[in-house]
Amino acid sequence: MIVIIGSRHDSVARSIVAALPTAALCSAEDLTRPGWVWSVDSFEPNRWVVDGNVVDDPHVTGVLVRRTYVYPEELVGTHPDDREYLAAESTAFLIFVLSRTGARVVNPVCDGALGEDVIRPERWIATAADLGLDVAPLRLTATGATPVPTMTTTVEVVGDETFGDAPPHVRAAATQLAGALGVVYAVFVFDRTQHLITLSAKQLPSDAALAALGSLLSIRSRT
Amino acid sequence: MIVVWGALNDPPVSNVLDTLRTRGADVLHLDRERVAALDFDVTLARGATGWIALDGQRIPLDTISAMYLRPEAQRDNRVSSTTACLLAIASTLDTVVVNRPAAGRSNLTKPFQLAAISNAGLRVPPTLVTTDPAAARQFVVRHGRVVYKSISGIRSIVAALDATNADRLSGVSTGPVQLQRWIEGIDVRVHVIGKQWFATAIECTATDYRYPKNADDMMAILATEIDGELGDRLVRLAASMGLLVAGIDLRLTPNDEWFCFEVNPSPGFTFYEDATGQPMAAAICDLLMNGGASERRT
Repeated sequence: MIVIIGSRHDSVARSIVAALPTAALCSAEDLTRPGWVWSVDSFEPNRWVVDGNVVDDPHVTGVLVRRTYVYPEELVGTHPDDREYLAAESTAFLIFVLSRTGARVVNPVCDGALGEDVIRPERWIATAADLGLDVAPLRLTATGATPVPTMTTTVEVVGDETFGDAPPHVRAAATQLAGALGVVYAVFVFDRTQHLITLSAKQLPSDAALAALGSLLSIRSRT
Repeated sequence: MIVVWGALNDPPVSNVLDTLRTRGADVLHLDRERVAALDFDVTLARGATGWIALDGQRIPLDTISAMYLRPEAQRDNRVSSTTACLLAIASTLDTVVVNRPAAGRSNLTKPFQLAAISNAGLRVPPTLVTTDPAAARQFVVRHGRVVYKSISGIRSIVAALDATNADRLSGVSTGPVQLQRWIEGIDVRVHVIGKQWFATAIECTATDYRYPKNADDMMAILATEIDGELGDRLVRLAASMGLLVAGIDLRLTPNDEWFCFEVNPSPGFTFYEDATGQPMAAAICDLLMNGGASERRT
């Protein structure tokens, strides 16, 4: 099974589930359903709850994370007074689960961060600079953001594969950075001078990238 | 210039500020109001460059020699963008930062951090996080007495549970709950500051010494010693998490076994310093003023 972690209101998550035959959505509601079992220095077999069903961790081959937090507003089955606390608890729990699963996680947790927070600018800019890659400087001012370049080149990375029209050295840079960041899938955006502007895993992958992602996530990476 | 970010009515912040000023250090203090008034122009590329400005004083980032962070929660959006910039500076500036923002994140998910502690070779209590009442009951039966506590960084009062009140575990089905085998023993808080450590024993009959239920719980807070091998391991543990300063919660059992529960990346060390006289603020200021390699973690 491929698990897509996201909201029921996330159209991209729903599209990915629809496109991948063995995929199912793990929603905020699932995090508050009975059946989850995860441990540290104890014997219990690890179990998920996915789309309402209890699933043993060895049956999960791959995971794509499409959320950075669980939001209180998603927990409609919980008393309003308890939603904020339970959302924080569910987010913390999800990070723990993703750090323990034997499945391949497309965007694994790092430093206790989840989803897009894993590839926040402070992290990828520093990592790219350490690799010697060309990075478009990110300017932060009290008066607001600087303009985003309009002429861009996009590279989709899925594992060792790349998709898009970028020249080989740009694809190689994207693959190298994805590897250093430990992400299996992300979209890398370069400006006209081929300096990296940003990266993200939020968009719907192209058909080719999605097929590659499905293949990759069908194989469990750890035991 | 040393930047100290936090509220003046927060004792660790005020102690660090007072100590730095007594020593004649050049200090910029930021709290919620001053952060809201901050001007800045910062570029992130190969490190952070640019400046921040307050009260007409422009401070180039390359003149900041150290940062101490214990910020209050921020609320309105204007402050949030400034806060984001300050956090980016603290993440990337090549200087001493107590502590890098990312280094503290593991404390926001306790079982994640506990697994990291276990991986570092320290003993941790068997822990179950579950929404399954049957699994929770089996865990209680196996261990006899357990505690339950929050999973996230939201502070909760640790409470004990045993088989006599295991019927309460049916409530775990509505959201994840963390259960941990009860460990008998004496609490010891070890503050790691750079390569130093300060061990403080807490003798208390309450399940959670931070919240004694009554005066009969007889809390005593005493400076104590730990052996050098354990101290070195705790220094390595903090360093492995990217922390220059950490408050590490341990318990020493009657069989002389050490269990580690948590690594606090922003410890309220004054609670222990005030009771014991252990010079932690001075040690933190030594670190801020005299440096020491600070691994960049973003």
